Amino acid sequence: MRNFFIILIMKLIHIVLKIFGKNGGNLLGKIAYDWNPNIFKYFKINSPIIAVTATNGKTMTNNAIGHIFKTANKKVISNIEGNNMETGILSTLLKNCTLTGKIKADYLVFEVDEGYVPVIFKDLKLDTLVILDFFRDQLDRNGEVETLILKINEFLKTYNGNLVLNNDDPNVSRLGKANPNNKKVRYFSVEKYDFATDSIKEAGEGKYCPFCSTELKYEYYQYSHIGKFVCPNCDFGNNKISTYATNVNLKDRTFDVDNITYNIRFNSIYNIYNFTACICVSSIYKIETDIVKKALSTFVLNNGRLEEVKINNVPTVINLAKNPTGANVSLRILNEDDDEKELLFVLNDNIADGFDVSWIWDINFDKLNNVSRIITSGQRAFDIAIRIKTSGFENSKIEPYLSLEEAVSNLYKTNVKKYVIANYTSLQPTRKELFKHK
Amino acid sequence: MKELKILYLYPDLLELYGDYGNIQVLKYRIEKRGLKPIIDRYCINDNAPDFKSYDIVFAGGGADNEQSILSKDLLKYKDSIKEAVNSGVFFLLICGAYQLFGKYYKGVEGNIVDGLNVFDYYTEAITDRKKRCIGNIVIETTLNGNPYKVIGFENHGGQTYGISNPFGKVLYGNGNKFGDTEEGFFKTNVIATYLHGPLLSKNPGITDYIIKYCLDRKYNENIILEPLDDSFENACRNQLLEKFKNPQ
Repeated sequence: MRNFFIILIMKLIHIVLKIFGKNGGNLLGKIAYDWNPNIFKYFKINSPIIAVTATNGKTMTNNAIGHIFKTANKKVISNIEGNNMETGILSTLLKNCTLTGKIKADYLVFEVDEGYVPVIFKDLKLDTLVILDFFRDQLDRNGEVETLILKINEFLKTYNGNLVLNNDDPNVSRLGKANPNNKKVRYFSVEKYDFATDSIKEAGEGKYCPFCSTELKYEYYQYSHIGKFVCPNCDFGNNKISTYATNVNLKDRTFDVDNITYNIRFNSIYNIYNFTACICVSSIYKIETDIVKKALSTFVLNNGRLEEVKINNVPTVINLAKNPTGANVSLRILNEDDDEKELLFVLNDNIADGFDVSWIWDINFDKLNNVSRIITSGQRAFDIAIRIKTSGFENSKIEPYLSLEEAVSNLYKTNVKKYVIANYTSLQPTRKELFKHK
Repeated sequence: MKELKILYLYPDLLELYGDYGNIQVLKYRIEKRGLKPIIDRYCINDNAPDFKSYDIVFAGGGADNEQSILSKDLLKYKDSIKEAVNSGVFFLLICGAYQLFGKYYKGVEGNIVDGLNVFDYYTEAITDRKKRCIGNIVIETTLNGNPYKVIGFENHGGQTYGISNPFGKVLYGNGNKFGDTEEGFFKTNVIATYLHGPLLSKNPGITDYIIKYCLDRKYNENIILEPLDDSFENACRNQLLEKFKNPQ
């Protein structure tokens, strides 16, 4: 009875919020969770729940999976706005359930914060868990990556659902051994791409085998520590691959899986990993290849995740970077493009960003390809300017502005192609400022 | 060309909080003076380094697990490290490396990780894993007789006791222990501190103090370093000192 009233009241609040044109974010979930932390048990869900977790790529992969199902004419409920902690998932459920807690949909697709997987799926039955990658991320808030991985490993020991793992990330691939009785573990992988390297180019994690502490041997690195590796001592990493992407062509924006060519709207190696995971999930739910192909060829995310726009008639690419790997892959895209360009880097240090900005020293700014000017902004505009200068980029070509408005208006003084990298809390203010010049 | 030789200890293990940036800043400011930096890296299982032949030895902070792995390796060099410290080689030690140069580190479960015992301070972890000294920090030190504000970021569970000569007094943040008035350990040729940031990135005065010390020692002179364009660094320092003075 109590849960019935909680849902009733949340529904009423939701209506009020809607009247005032507000979405409410995770507000409903927060109130309901404080009221009864066991409320997850109350929902009656008959459709499969699919969750995506990772350090980077959650929002994109979650949205792409949802888009594939929708293209297949399925009803999907998803936290597409990215509220991915327990209160965010709960908000999504509350908004979409009946008063008796019934959820009517074909699929529930959630992105879930790495730290919250065990909390949320204690009481919700998970059908498929997708894990993309683990990187260092806001150490002052999240702590060391290893602690996070061990938490998820503990959860997986008793999990028997589908598990879709990135075989090219040793920190993810190792989780396939958490429960030896789970027969539903699938690995995906991506063939070496044109800009892969023999030695590691950017900060990475997991140099040693988690099972026998031997140094892992890499055949190649795609980016950061993602690549083809194996433990020379215990053979860790040598798994049967269910979904293998080949012929990656970032210029044409295509790749193949099982001899079928997929056209996509993105041009980074990490997108290929995300979409390979999506194809793996689609195969679990028997979605026809033609539908997946069609869905991926139309999928875009207009929220600052590799968003391509024209501003002031100048081609501009906007990308979020919350951590070193996020920034490093953005710089990879920039370096793989031979055109002349200018970079705007916006760095904030609000609580959601982490107060510690030392992670910018793990970004590889060496030998930027044809960058003629760099503008820095945000609350830590000078920190990032110092970082870039120290890497060898001429300091007379770096312009720091604490004011975003000044930064953006100076950026468009030239009509050279722009790349914009912004961290978490600076992304939306940066987009807003950019779009003023549209 | 005059050169400065830097030994970078355990770059593959002590690399968590951007401390590598200290090497980059050193290299940058040495090169800008027309000098040649030579940077050697030492990893576990490499040939024993000749500590005394270097001008600067640097080591940073790492994950807890990795720190206990490398402490065993480091202890092999206890005597040659002591000798190098006594002969005047400059040691810049951040966070975990700071702790390892003391008597011991007592972990959360009460386990003792032996230190090099080069200095007589010691560190004990707080038993509550979740409690750490985390945040921006400003201290005031004295370099060649002049006061200098040092800006950084601390993130440590260990509480360090028995410091005879601190690196600086705390103006904002915690220091060697929760709510301490003192931070780090300092002697002419040693700076041992919890400050990440990386330390040298926002404190060019310290970098230049180290470079001058090493040049004077090596080439037996009293050099006045050519000033560099520090406009970004100065703007950053002014902005942050103001911000921490008036925290929101």
